[in-house]
Amino acid sequence: MKSLAYQPQSGVVRALAAAGVSLLLGLGLAGAAQANETAKTVCAGCHGPQGDAPIAPTFPNLAGLQKEYIVKQLNDFISGKRKNDMMAPIVADLKPEDIGPIAEYFSQQKPTSGKAENRMAASAGKVLYNQGNDESGVPACVGCHQEKGGGYIGPTAIYPRIAGQQVEYVKQQLKDFASGARANDPSRFMRTTAKRMTEEEIEEVAQYLVGVGE
Amino acid sequence: MKKILTFIIALAALPVAAQAQTWNPSAAELQAMQAKADPERGEALFTACVGCHKKDATGRSSGAYPRLAGQHFTVLLKQMKDIKAGLRTNPKMAPYIEDHISDVGEMADVAVWLTALPIPEDRIGRGPGTSVDAGKVLFERDCAQCHGQKGEGDAARFYPMVAAQHYRYLLREMHFIRDGDRGNSNPDMVKVIKPYREADLEALADYMSSLPPPAPAK
Repeated sequence: MKSLAYQPQSGVVRALAAAGVSLLLGLGLAGAAQANETAKTVCAGCHGPQGDAPIAPTFPNLAGLQKEYIVKQLNDFISGKRKNDMMAPIVADLKPEDIGPIAEYFSQQKPTSGKAENRMAASAGKVLYNQGNDESGVPACVGCHQEKGGGYIGPTAIYPRIAGQQVEYVKQQLKDFASGARANDPSRFMRTTAKRMTEEEIEEVAQYLVGVGE
Repeated sequence: MKKILTFIIALAALPVAAQAQTWNPSAAELQAMQAKADPERGEALFTACVGCHKKDATGRSSGAYPRLAGQHFTVLLKQMKDIKAGLRTNPKMAPYIEDHISDVGEMADVAVWLTALPIPEDRIGRGPGTSVDAGKVLFERDCAQCHGQKGEGDAARFYPMVAAQHYRYLLREMHFIRDGDRGNSNPDMVKVIKPYREADLEALADYMSSLPPPAPAK
């Protein structure tokens, strides 16, 4: 198995991690403040100061996303595992030590949701989300992304929060997974799944998710 | 020339296919695998499967996904192995298992987790109940010898427990086996099921899905 990396580690590892955090807190206060500054200036320029006011419909809402998920995505943008022409030059200037604190900052912002423009589609999306499509083999999204789309840190993968996410962003990601333009999903699960979804289903599930809140 | 080449390629592929099909571990080897398997790791791996098979591994009454809870360790292991290897035709599951489960050891972990899960008594997915009696007659004549009087299966011979399985799943698989679409069917079963007509298959599925869950699989 490739990654059980997110499984709770042994006591020793946890203690070491805690020590690392303390060290970071002790020595890196200036660094953390700098990272917060980066989040509020550089990232905020497109995602909004709290990450919940993206300036374009295809930019994601970051507020309340799991820290681990943001860290992974930033690292994937840097390594090129996740390709994005807009993010690439920005993450190139990121200091590695800032990634954690930036992710922490956005993960702690209050999650927000929007309103579905198409309520018919949203209710069809809710059914798909909870039951999948047995005919075409689309698994139920709820299996991994959980009830209410909150996601969780699974033992073999990080399942991001998708509740309240922007409609156009969700649609774009699903299309990119389907075409393979986005390929940083563990074990190709999202690529396989998105490929089986019709354009209509993608619209429906996106319309459903935007309105899901706490 | 082209024909010769094709022939050579086919020849080269033969031993691989033959080897895969003759995977035939002894009872002792299987027992050792089961004893060594790690249910916690299996549970962790199975988290990626619950979008289809559900968290409690009871599957879906639509028949698209079988109940795996309580199935024999050996059966689960063999089917996972066959699906990953492409021996059992399952285009829905194949891409998911391909990267996610890397070897037989991990399959054993998942199998040992699933085999210990309870089969709910008040389960979903029974047949219409209209041809249970007809199904019983057929089952006892043609199926019980391998799948057991109570549909409990036979772990040592990789015969699945069919009792309390979803009606629609049983029906689908019997169609696949009869029509040669399953890929890894037991040749003896293909012979038995060949003359079965639609009403016979429905009766059998009705009966098997109505059988109560047998005692927990060993």
